[in-house]
Amino acid sequence: MTALDTLLLISAITVGVALLAGNWRVGGWLVTILYALQGAALLMMSGLGYSTLTVVQSSFSIEVLSEQLLWRFDALSWFFALITIGAGLFSSWFASGEWGERYRDNGGSLRLFHGALALNVFTMLVLLASGDLLTLFIGWELVSWASFLIMALAGGKAFGYAMRYISYAFAGAMALLGGLLLIYAEVGSFDFQSLKEAAPQMQASTLWLLVVLLTSGFGVKMAILPFHLWQAKAYAQTPGPGAAFLGAISSRMGLFAFIVVVVQLIGISRLVEMEIPFTFLDAQDLLAWIAVFTIIIPTYIALRQHDARRLLAWHGVGQTGYMLLGIVIANDLGSAGGLMHVFNYASYQAMLFMVVVAVIHRTGTSDLNKLGGLFTRMPLSYLAMLIGIIGLAGLPPMNGFVSKWLIYRSLIVDGSPLLFLGAVIGTLGTILSVYKLIHNIFLGQLRVEHVAVREAPLSMVIPMMALAVIVFVTGYFPGLVLDWTSAVQASIGIPVLAHHLGGVSMKGGLDMIWIVSVLLIGFGFGTLVFFLGGRSRRVHQLDNYAGGHFLTAETRYHYSDNFYPGLMHLIGPWYRNSFEWLERGVISAVDTLSTAMQGLYRNAHPSYLLLAAVVFALSWVIV
Amino acid sequence: MNLLVLMIALPLLTAFLLSSINRISTLAARWIGPLVLLATAVIGLSVWPQLGAAPLALQWGGFQAPLGITLYADQFALLFALAMTIGTLLLWPRSAENQLRSSSLALLLAGTGSGLALSGDLFNIYVFYELMTVVSYGLIAGRGTSGSFASTLRYLVISGFGAALALAGIALVYQATGTLNLAQLAQLAPEKLNNLQGFAAFVLMLIGFGVKAELFPVNMWVPEVYATASSRVSALLAGVVSKLALLIIMRLLILVFHQPEALTVLLVLGILGVASGELAAWRARDLNRMLAFSSIGQLGVMFIALSIPGNAGIFAALAVMVHHLFLKPSMFLLAERWGGSIEKLAGAARTSPIAAALFVLLALSLIGVPPLPGFWAKLLVIMPMLALDQPLYYLAVFVMLAAASLEANYLFRVVMKLYDKQPAATSHKVHATADLATALFLGGGLIAAVFMLVPLADRLDSIAAQATDVSTYIQTVAPQQLQSGRVQ
Amino acid sequence: MHFLELLVELLLMPILAFVIGLAMVLMMRRIGARIQRRVGPPVLQPIYDIIKLYSKDTQISHGLMHEIGIIMAVGGYIAAETLLPVPGLDGLADKGGAVTLAYMLMIPALGMALGVGQCANPNGSIGISRALTAMLAYDIPFILVIFGASYVYGTTNLAEMISIQQQQGVSSWGIVQMPLLALTALLILPAIMGKHPFEIYVAPAEIATGPMVEMSGKFMGGLFVMQCFQLYTAGVIFTTLFLGGGVYWITFLPKIFLVVAIPMSVAYLFPRYRTEDVLRLMWKWPMLLGLIGLAVVMK
Repeated sequence: MTALDTLLLISAITVGVALLAGNWRVGGWLVTILYALQGAALLMMSGLGYSTLTVVQSSFSIEVLSEQLLWRFDALSWFFALITIGAGLFSSWFASGEWGERYRDNGGSLRLFHGALALNVFTMLVLLASGDLLTLFIGWELVSWASFLIMALAGGKAFGYAMRYISYAFAGAMALLGGLLLIYAEVGSFDFQSLKEAAPQMQASTLWLLVVLLTSGFGVKMAILPFHLWQAKAYAQTPGPGAAFLGAISSRMGLFAFIVVVVQLIGISRLVEMEIPFTFLDAQDLLAWIAVFTIIIPTYIALRQHDARRLLAWHGVGQTGYMLLGIVIANDLGSAGGLMHVFNYASYQAMLFMVVVAVIHRTGTSDLNKLGGLFTRMPLSYLAMLIGIIGLAGLPPMNGFVSKWLIYRSLIVDGSPLLFLGAVIGTLGTILSVYKLIHNIFLGQLRVEHVAVREAPLSMVIPMMALAVIVFVTGYFPGLVLDWTSAVQASIGIPVLAHHLGGVSMKGGLDMIWIVSVLLIGFGFGTLVFFLGGRSRRVHQLDNYAGGHFLTAETRYHYSDNFYPGLMHLIGPWYRNSFEWLERGVISAVDTLSTAMQGLYRNAHPSYLLLAAVVFALSWVIV
Repeated sequence: MNLLVLMIALPLLTAFLLSSINRISTLAARWIGPLVLLATAVIGLSVWPQLGAAPLALQWGGFQAPLGITLYADQFALLFALAMTIGTLLLWPRSAENQLRSSSLALLLAGTGSGLALSGDLFNIYVFYELMTVVSYGLIAGRGTSGSFASTLRYLVISGFGAALALAGIALVYQATGTLNLAQLAQLAPEKLNNLQGFAAFVLMLIGFGVKAELFPVNMWVPEVYATASSRVSALLAGVVSKLALLIIMRLLILVFHQPEALTVLLVLGILGVASGELAAWRARDLNRMLAFSSIGQLGVMFIALSIPGNAGIFAALAVMVHHLFLKPSMFLLAERWGGSIEKLAGAARTSPIAAALFVLLALSLIGVPPLPGFWAKLLVIMPMLALDQPLYYLAVFVMLAAASLEANYLFRVVMKLYDKQPAATSHKVHATADLATALFLGGGLIAAVFMLVPLADRLDSIAAQATDVSTYIQTVAPQQLQSGRVQ
Repeated sequence: MHFLELLVELLLMPILAFVIGLAMVLMMRRIGARIQRRVGPPVLQPIYDIIKLYSKDTQISHGLMHEIGIIMAVGGYIAAETLLPVPGLDGLADKGGAVTLAYMLMIPALGMALGVGQCANPNGSIGISRALTAMLAYDIPFILVIFGASYVYGTTNLAEMISIQQQQGVSSWGIVQMPLLALTALLILPAIMGKHPFEIYVAPAEIATGPMVEMSGKFMGGLFVMQCFQLYTAGVIFTTLFLGGGVYWITFLPKIFLVVAIPMSVAYLFPRYRTEDVLRLMWKWPMLLGLIGLAVVMK
């Protein structure tokens, strides 16, 4: 039994235990421990993450259609699996305490919740372990349906969003299937190696068809433009920690598959050769531009949300663009940035969702217009969110900065000013949006009804804090993660980034140990300067400048709705919901066709058709 | 070998005797039908292994081919004869008032169906086909509602036309070759039927027999009939009878008609069937109609599969057919208590959790989610098509994949309704135990298939190989014909 | 020893920045006064102001985050100054280049925003909303400038940019190599410094709607210190990118004061822009210039 077998076995057992014992008081903890065991099994293969091991095979394999299906882990799978299991562990931990009890009391089935979560982890591991194109597709479908399950758990509105998801996902899967089978028709095998050998000889037209099919298939899961509409709402409606899990890792599976098939097997150099007629662009540029628009548009949609979970979920869509952008650029800096961003993003996105869920747990709402001032009541949650938003916005000293820096730097090296501009526009939008998030929830006026709110229970705070530590430490010592991404780069055949514990070793590099230390010392001096001044006096929040009026507890004295009116004056009219229109257009086209077909089956006189056919056939014979 | 004759004769005989038996004992009349079917099924199964080595032919009525009635049994034919018998047994009509009539109709259906599958000449095929059609009228109208009469009438009109066309096609064949024996036709076809006349004959027969196989555009009866007939009858018609009609077309394709145009016609009609069926299903507002439309789509896929030249096509079609054989009846059985508007299904999963779970499983397999058998069947169809590298086949692949997305959408709309947290105002009916048990049995078959994919695929492949082996067919039916030349 | 030297540099850089920043504040006030035909403040006025603010008796704190926000604002700038090479002091310039600096400069802004948010005064929050919007406005052309400079010099390391310009003489200066980008930078400089005519978010004249609304005593003092750093940073960045930086303070100081003085003197002539007009303006002319400039340098 190899380490991979052990991992998959434990993961399968986790699903079983979750389904059996999920409703018990200790059920959640049991499952959490099992995730930890999965993590341990993964660590048995940690050689993959440091290039000392190249591949770990599973001893399980089956033969179908004279194809040997096999499963194995390489550095890429290991890296994604690490994030997956981590996200599963923390989400399950978060769900095991008070949150779970509340969920059960409100009529939710914890058994189903934990089961669905464990199933998601398991299916993702199966996908990550896929060793050929057919197992990739099988894993792909399993993952799609597992996430459908967890999205649909909440019922009601969530059903509609889950339905939308599965419609997109299945259409994407069919595009993918078409692409994979086309590869089979061209190459004659589902084997990775055969594709890799055949790709350089493929005709440009075939390759275009392949790239379009595969990218749309993978893109649906990643929610890149124009397939981005399903994700935010579906994730936002997923119960509590489920949203944290999905937000952190689920749509990264699309990226994983994209890396495996398009980057590793077909190769970016092939994409560069595929020029789009009558333009200066090639397929790589096209993908990069899709990535940039995936950064910009969803980020600015997020800016307009007033539900915390939706806001985060829309940012999730936007952040995908950075990862794709980095990976498509495919130089040592960009791909390291893209890969590292997967890890970084997962760490702070899970944490941010957890904070929001904790706030919902205590206050019952995630409406940004109905919160405020919770800093004094939930300081630890505030701290977690602060660290999270600094990460999400990509500012030092958190890990999000490092990955974004790598991506920016790769664009400078690549000489793509417009892509760079797009990436920065996205970052600026993110800063605006996350400030609104933290301001409307934690800063400003505390509402009367929230005066009695307490800090979230320990079962929630500890996972949040653990993630916060990860976000900070991997920002301080990015080399920890860069080791893994370098192993991945080596295994997928991209130039490896020269790095050290503090960051990138190159001319005009980055050393986060120095940067963060200086920043911390700077804060120290700032504190010193601050306390050199006279003693300050704390006042009640209502003891405020109010233009000559007295404030009472009932006075709404918090600026939340339409937070950026100046900006919206200008860019408001640019929100045209074009993609919603497009989607509706497709639906109504199908609807019209469907009505026509029903009309055909209901009204048309089939006998006439038959007669026509007879006359046609007979006349053919006679003539 | 003679035992196989019993597969046809026993049910027919019992059907005719049933009213007499009823006079003697109602209890016996009630049980004899299922028992006879069980017996025939056992006979069929006992013959099954020996057919693996070599197919059998039987001259019935004392004359040698081509004059006598030829029965030809290979595993391919027997598979469908067995499907017919076992299918009828599982889907035995259960109506309180007309038990006697529906029992004898069911027996007739099983008998004629087996006959159809095992027949070795065109005329017998036509006769059995007509008989089967008439029996189905009775079954469909059996509910006695005005809706079912109206739909039966529509079915009758179309079937009538279809039969006339098929007959015209057979006439053309006879005019060209002077024989209707399939083995002999197989010998003569390359020389006499490889022309426009042969092609016309094929098209006529395709349309004629296509009525039952839900071929576009002669499938206009399907939605109304399945929506109004009882679910068990719909399950039988959609699940089993349609496959028998398909079997005829497959036989004709293998033995007689080798024109590439024939394949093109099949492909085009198949694509149209898939597109029209799945699109129409997308807007269907009640479950029975939805299933009816989707079965048009599925049959379309089978036609597409048939249009793939060579062994691969037959193999793929066979895989899709067997999958559908398990799946569709099971779905129709579940629809029995879930008729009417889909909106009313809201929350039905709470009252019947097992049925709802089964529906999810069936839906997943139908749309082709790995590792369920539906996926592999679909894979078998698409892979050889892409290898052909022709535009029309690419179109077919595109239509199939797009149709699958539509299918996922509308089937999961139903699933969502089933699991809706706000139950509908009306209370939901629980499934009859027998219905649910049968559906579960068939669904269990699908799950079992997941674990036996490889042996199953091998078995289907060998069946397909045997079916496509034309020379064995000719030799088995009439060895002396080959030596003495053809008899005029 | 090298390490000790570096430590001294790191300590010296923020202090120098602060002192020069104070002088710049003074200069700015004087220019404003001259344009308005006033005498203007005495030389030590900025220092008096800071001492006054820090030693006030009544200092109102609105909670912990209010205080941390101010600490972040000042501390962030102190850290950022170490990334900004000046004559004789390279600091951490090789540990993170222009991009890192650009993002480090957002930390103080974030700190101020958080501190103001904690004050629970909607007028303050409105100021922050405007400030962040203005940041969105000027950062987009600014990033074009950074990109163009990095492209022309082939590095993002500010110290290397300086040495390239120093070694190859005036003809290799950024302002000669990329005049359009330099003009772009000059246009957005007042916005980066939060000065006329883009200072609506600070709203010094109508303090009721701005970040300062709840700031008193040393909180205000912290913001004052931050302003010194802000002016200094803007001047040095521009000088480094376009005016060849400096190896000697004697040539360097006039450059940075000039850079701050020019937009100051022009800007006082314009009335204040509304927030959306800032956006419209910034996204039109500087953006256009920047793009053309980029196209020119990249051919």
